[in-house]
Amino acid sequence: MRLLAFSDNPLGHVVDKAIIGGKNPVFVDTASATPYLTVHMVSLILAGLIAIVIMLYVAGRISTGAESEGHDRYLTKGRFSQMMEVIILYMQEKAIHPVLGDANTKKYLPFLLTLFFFILVCNIVGLFPMLDVQYLGAGLLGSEYEWAFFGGTATSNLAVTATLAVICFIVIQVHAFKELGVKGWLGHLTGGAPLYLLPIMLPVEFMGMLIKPSALAIRLFANMVAGHTLMSMLALFGKMAYGGLGLGGLIGISAISIIAGVAIGFLELFVAFLQAFIFMFLTAVFISQMSHHHEDHHEEYEEGLTEYSEVPAT
Amino acid sequence: MLSLLLAASEGSPNPVNVDLAPAITALIVFGLVCLVFFTKVWPKIGKGLDDRQAKIRQEIEAAEQAQADARASMERQQEELVKARAEANEMISKAKADAEATARDLRERAQLELGELRDNASQEIRAAKEAAITELHAESAALATAIASRILQREINASDQQNLIDESLRELETARGG
Repeated sequence: MRLLAFSDNPLGHVVDKAIIGGKNPVFVDTASATPYLTVHMVSLILAGLIAIVIMLYVAGRISTGAESEGHDRYLTKGRFSQMMEVIILYMQEKAIHPVLGDANTKKYLPFLLTLFFFILVCNIVGLFPMLDVQYLGAGLLGSEYEWAFFGGTATSNLAVTATLAVICFIVIQVHAFKELGVKGWLGHLTGGAPLYLLPIMLPVEFMGMLIKPSALAIRLFANMVAGHTLMSMLALFGKMAYGGLGLGGLIGISAISIIAGVAIGFLELFVAFLQAFIFMFLTAVFISQMSHHHEDHHEEYEEGLTEYSEVPAT
Repeated sequence: MLSLLLAASEGSPNPVNVDLAPAITALIVFGLVCLVFFTKVWPKIGKGLDDRQAKIRQEIEAAEQAQADARASMERQQEELVKARAEANEMISKAKADAEATARDLRERAQLELGELRDNASQEIRAAKEAAITELHAESAALATAIASRILQREINASDQQNLIDESLRELETARGG
């Protein structure tokens, strides 16, 4: 049985699982099917749909109403929409605008907010133990299949976070070419260093250019995997204690595990928001580094200041 | 614990494994989300926030304008009030002065008229007295002449009459003085 509490491997709960095709699919008869479908893919589609439905609802509630509503038409209706508006305005005023300035904020705000909300919804969808509910349901019904069609955190899949990072990389580089031109972009690769240092600077800067989005992908993936693995480990403690200490151990350790699991659940919720924010914010920072005012950073660099002095630690 | 983890991880799927299908799915789903958000969500939210901002700015400007108008109106009214008060005071002072002047004039005129009336009355009294006395003299003389004529049974002339009158008067005055 794949139910977490009865499994042996905490990672088994975190990694992607095939539904149709691939390795050990839910529908065993479809093992050779191509293309295949996994729970993370279904989670992605589900998260995308949830994000679209929620944001369409919020947009309808924030947008200006009919004239018949009088002054009320300018008000945001509903507490959820008001909360979302606060988040959007906070992102705009406190996170993105200070980094990108007026022109680039107007240009990249929609993309950055889309990125934030998409990752956030993926992270939050992953917090619901839907896989286990399906396993439990299938087990209770006595099904020969371990039915599980959706669940898990799509952002704990490196392929997903890497795809998002590649999209960000393309956006950053397209912005750099448009803003700096080819000459400026090449100049940026040299980091303002003298010519004899170019053999060192060019590979370093080029690697840095690739490492930045890679770090985005790995940070999000690692945080999501680590959090869920921790939750899985807490859930497995009961089984381990039962093996070593018997029923008393199962009850005692499970009680502690449940309390710790709830606490870690809140932490996971916080991490879901934090990692979505960090992914979006660092993308904004990388865009800003490829803007005209980045030349100022080079001047600071020449004056002995750190190039990334304005980039907050993450 | 570590041995358990290692044992458990043997043969299990690798979380670092990058598969193409979820990547393509992520690309398509994120693309669709971007499409919907860019066409249906952010324009609406942006317009809603911009409309509200414009409305708030407009209301604030209107309120500030109304406040400035009210302040200007109040200042104007206060100026007019001060002016009106000054004018009223001036009018009251003028009216008081006029009233005092009129009263003084009336009083003087009344006193003057009174004096004239008194003088006239005195003159008239005096004239009447003199006329009465003259008439009395004439009447007395005529009476005395008549009496004397009757007594003397003769006519006397005017000169006699005058002498007689004067004499009678002297006697009368003497008698009164006595």
